[in-house]
Amino acid sequence: MKQHYHSRIKPYLLITPALLLAVLFSYRPFILTLINSLHTISLSGKHLSFIGLENYRRLFANPSFQASLSNTLRFTLFFVPTNIIICLSAALLTNRSGKLATLNQIFFFLPMAVGLSSSMMIIKMMFNPSIGIINRLFGLNVQWFNNRHAAMALLVIAGVGLDIGLDFLLFSAALRNVPTDLLEVAQIEGANGRQTFRYLQGPLISSTLLFVVVTNIKDAMLISSPVMILTEGGPFRSTQTLVYQMYLDGFKSGNYAMGSTIATVVFLLTFSVLLLLMRLERRRVYYQ
Amino acid sequence: MKRLIPIAATLFSLIVVFPIFYTISASFFPYADFTAIPARLLPSAPTLDNYARSFSESNLLLFLTNSLYSALVGTILRMTISIIGAYAFTFMEFRGKNILFILIVATMLLPPDALILENYSTIRALRLTDTYLGIISITLLAPTHLLMLRQYFKTVSREYREAAIIEGCSDTRFLAILLLPISKAVIITLAIHSFSTIFNDYLWPLLVTNRESMRTVQVGLTMLGFSENLDYGPQFAAITVLMTPILITFIALHNPIQDSVSTHFTGR
Repeated sequence: MKQHYHSRIKPYLLITPALLLAVLFSYRPFILTLINSLHTISLSGKHLSFIGLENYRRLFANPSFQASLSNTLRFTLFFVPTNIIICLSAALLTNRSGKLATLNQIFFFLPMAVGLSSSMMIIKMMFNPSIGIINRLFGLNVQWFNNRHAAMALLVIAGVGLDIGLDFLLFSAALRNVPTDLLEVAQIEGANGRQTFRYLQGPLISSTLLFVVVTNIKDAMLISSPVMILTEGGPFRSTQTLVYQMYLDGFKSGNYAMGSTIATVVFLLTFSVLLLLMRLERRRVYYQ
Repeated sequence: MKRLIPIAATLFSLIVVFPIFYTISASFFPYADFTAIPARLLPSAPTLDNYARSFSESNLLLFLTNSLYSALVGTILRMTISIIGAYAFTFMEFRGKNILFILIVATMLLPPDALILENYSTIRALRLTDTYLGIISITLLAPTHLLMLRQYFKTVSREYREAAIIEGCSDTRFLAILLLPISKAVIITLAIHSFSTIFNDYLWPLLVTNRESMRTVQVGLTMLGFSENLDYGPQFAAITVLMTPILITFIALHNPIQDSVSTHFTGR
């Protein structure tokens, strides 16, 4: 009897740590964030009063938030296509065998070995307007950190640097999975490179492409650490993003309710992206 | 046209790898090389001064120890939690099994960055700020690991376990002498992934550590005090120290890495 009882309780014991962590660090904070966004909150973190959607109204009327939202969307719009074009062309260009191609492949995924804060510090130093190598090497005088457009471009460059390693590997893996007999047939039939990609490789890597596009969009909407290290949202809030503002409101200015409201907006944005992925995945993608 | 592809690929890949090359090269620059005209790509007279200074004038070594320690402990705990969880979900029958599994895996939909405000209050309420447990806390649950391990464990027939249990073998023994050895490859891949995730984390350790002595290297690296004074040599040296072991690993293991990406992400 004791044995029986023991074997019934055992599976629960084994999953308790995972379950506890899921509740403690995902569901509980998620629900509290939603609740907080509907209240005014004192500096010590106590709920003062329930105010419905008032925080959201205030948030959307707030110029700083409007800037964050538009910066985040602009960043996403610039970053995702740039990153996809760069990573996909890298994968297409090195989709061969041979020593040189292998060396090129290694160079393309090597940025993955450099951690986030190292990459950001490297970029910060290379793009320093006075003694950074980039301006001096090309004889430029771009104020990378004091010009709105340059700062946004820098953030896009930083984003590509962070993602190129993995995204390149994903695209090359997908391209290598295109059956060689199909490629040979295409060649015999006289298809050029563009036609081969348009009608053969493109459709066959579409599930990978969709996956990379959606994860890129999600990551772009959540970008904060590169902003923190590189630009601190400047100049004039031109690179202040949603999660960065959430961090500023929640931790620096003690505006906890606003921070929670921004967090909720971020949840909604990422959920809609994931929903989009699920719908598209069902409809558009060709599987072999 | 065909001839141009290797040339284009090589030029392109050199641009991508240039920051890494320049970082290593600049870590050997004497101070004057940073302002030399025309701009230098290689040191005029290679020096190790920058390395000496990055260690002696900052707490780099301490930060590195903190990071290695938390990543190691974090990885062990994270793998243990994932393995025992996946074990129960694969081999045992219990009430609410499916819903509990979905509950755990669905946490993937909640981006950790948007949860940091509340998670920080939890950690503060538990008095875990400035502790290793605080640093690793939110990384301990890895729903993707649980999912992948369960997929893998499923390939082992449940009859094996039932036979083993009837023969008087305990779950622990079954796990230790059969399941873990045959899952070695996937466990190592996931452990490496865990280690680098925890080691590379920036935002969370920044929030939960205030004392310099508890700072991790990713956070510490941005606050060494060199780059602020345009004293780039020691900063590049510190970055080189940090990235070289990983670069070497990546170059040495480029084949298995490419293979594992193609199996884990594209699922073929």
